[in-house]
Amino acid sequence: MATYLARRAIFGVLTLVVITCFVYGLARNMPGTPLTVQLGETDPSRRFNPEDLERMKRIYGLDRPWPVGYAQWLANVVRGDLGRSISRKQPVATLIAERIGPTFLVSGTALVVAWLAAIPLGLYASARSGRPDERLSSLVLYVLYSFPTFVAALFLQIIFAVWLRGTAWELPLFGMSDVPPDAPSLVRIGDVARHMILPVTCQTYVSLAYDSRFVRANLEEAVRQDYIRTARAKGAGPWRVLFRHAFRNTLIPLVTLLGLSLPGLLGGSVIIEQIFTWPGMGRLFFESIRERDYPTIMGLTLMFSVLTLAGQLLADILYCAVDPRVSVE
Amino acid sequence: MTTETRTTGFWGDAWRRYRRRPLAVAAAAFVGGLVLVAILSPAIAGTKPVLCRYKGRIYAPCLAYFARDLEPAIFARDRFRGTYPRNLVEKDPESWAVWPLVFQDPYRSVRADEWPGLPANPARDEGRPSRRNLFGTDQAGVDVFAKMVHGTTIALLVGFVSMGIAGTIGVAVGAVGGYFGGWIDMLTSRITEIVMCIPTLVLILAVIAVIEKPTIWHTMAIIGATGWTGIARLTRGEFLRLKESEFVLAARAAGAGPARIMLRHILPNALAPVLVPITFGIASAVLLESSLSFLGFGPPPPTASWGSILNDARSNLAMWWLVVFPGIAIFLTVLAYNLIGEALQESTDPRLREARK
Repeated sequence: MATYLARRAIFGVLTLVVITCFVYGLARNMPGTPLTVQLGETDPSRRFNPEDLERMKRIYGLDRPWPVGYAQWLANVVRGDLGRSISRKQPVATLIAERIGPTFLVSGTALVVAWLAAIPLGLYASARSGRPDERLSSLVLYVLYSFPTFVAALFLQIIFAVWLRGTAWELPLFGMSDVPPDAPSLVRIGDVARHMILPVTCQTYVSLAYDSRFVRANLEEAVRQDYIRTARAKGAGPWRVLFRHAFRNTLIPLVTLLGLSLPGLLGGSVIIEQIFTWPGMGRLFFESIRERDYPTIMGLTLMFSVLTLAGQLLADILYCAVDPRVSVE
Repeated sequence: MTTETRTTGFWGDAWRRYRRRPLAVAAAAFVGGLVLVAILSPAIAGTKPVLCRYKGRIYAPCLAYFARDLEPAIFARDRFRGTYPRNLVEKDPESWAVWPLVFQDPYRSVRADEWPGLPANPARDEGRPSRRNLFGTDQAGVDVFAKMVHGTTIALLVGFVSMGIAGTIGVAVGAVGGYFGGWIDMLTSRITEIVMCIPTLVLILAVIAVIEKPTIWHTMAIIGATGWTGIARLTRGEFLRLKESEFVLAARAAGAGPARIMLRHILPNALAPVLVPITFGIASAVLLESSLSFLGFGPPPPTASWGSILNDARSNLAMWWLVVFPGIAIFLTVLAYNLIGEALQESTDPRLREARK
């Protein structure tokens, strides 16, 4: 187990170096720098004069070629320093810490709701397999699965923020909170919850559709096994067979899927956060690309990649934990 | 023992199973319909005649919608400036023309009396769907129906071109890794894993930002260059399995080289399972392109893409028709490819076939 983990860790670090080097090179080769893009677009008179620009470039280390800059960034990361955002004048670690909470709030809620609904739905679908009601519900889930999130988000915005404006059903379009920060905490929580409804709905429905189909596909695979026939022959009822015998054996792939959803949990969804201007990680990434804010782009890329690798490792380890026949070697 | 048994090949058999699924057949018909719309787009909506006779010769100015150079030079010389109906009659009373079904342009608003008796398109937020503008008009007064008809080409090309690229890379990488094994397999598997770890949207946004003047072709190339990992893994698995089979041994004994064995012997047998992720890949490429256009990273303005119409809607959500029509078009296209992919999977996978006898 220890050698396995060590090998995975070495490969993981190598992967991280390749990815970050690649993204750093890309980022530094985008047209414009954080110093020119941000100020030049808003107001031409606020552009730096050439001497100031050179001075600023030196301060931020942008006058050197990108491989040197990358080596510098890597050396700082190894020492635990993600650098400071150029456009926001804050340490990248602080920015990430600020944004990770809101992202987790939405994606965590969506994940829990999706799984709580997906497992019963999957069980129901395989218990009533082939009957008209199951066919209908499966069709609806399939249609939902193909429905693009951003289209759904726009539909929901039109319904709840435009058509229902002024009614009790109106929901806020943008942002995370409208009440002042000194309002009583109950009011604040309620306000954030109201802002959360639409983004959470958008994130839930796709994973709900996907997860329930996944649960069902695995159940149908399990139901064909010999031990199910044995259980039936011994006189176990259909629900008992489904729960006690089949479902428990489908936990293995479910656990893998759960591990693989880790990066999305903290990485957030760029599109949903962008549509609802939710102050999360996905939006931070989108903004940092537009602002050419290299330290933030790199900090987020590093985080996304670490999470993806960790998710894969977690999935593999959990897989061994739940299935004694599989060993990590 | 009365009927003679007719043997059908693998694909014939798969097609028979595919046909039994009405939804999948409908989905294939839908994609076929999209292809027709894309090919006939200048004849469905446009402001240039499909065919016209002018000063004694016959022209097809509508081809200009496919490539600007295809517009006959005579119309530029005679100063038509894109307005055909009036000019044709004024400059050659003998002329005749076959017009598109809907007289609306995907790139500009139709002016008042451009077509005798036709009023100007409503602009700003007043362009609700009407008999004249079936799907309404956008803020600039451009007809949404015309934009969508001409955007069909992009929606189709994005899927096929990007998955053509991804399929080629994925099959090549997976085939080489799976067939040769050893350190080559190690290398290709690592590369696949690294590409898998880079968040797709991150990579695409970064690459598009690097390109000075991104066009729709760049977007397709990038989607293709990042979307091959799943295909590569599947191909690798198939090649690992098939390279041990007897027919490969027979081919090797007959003196076939590795390239011939891989292309002529293993690939045809591995094609069915590999086609499935490619079909699903088309769906996600369409989705990805429209979300990029929606985020404002799509093709530059005059090109009409379904996602960019949605992007226009964000500034004024009361214009619901800018959301509903392109949104449903994207949804139906993605759904169709997903249905086709699923039907392909179930009609070609022998394991599922036996289970559903």
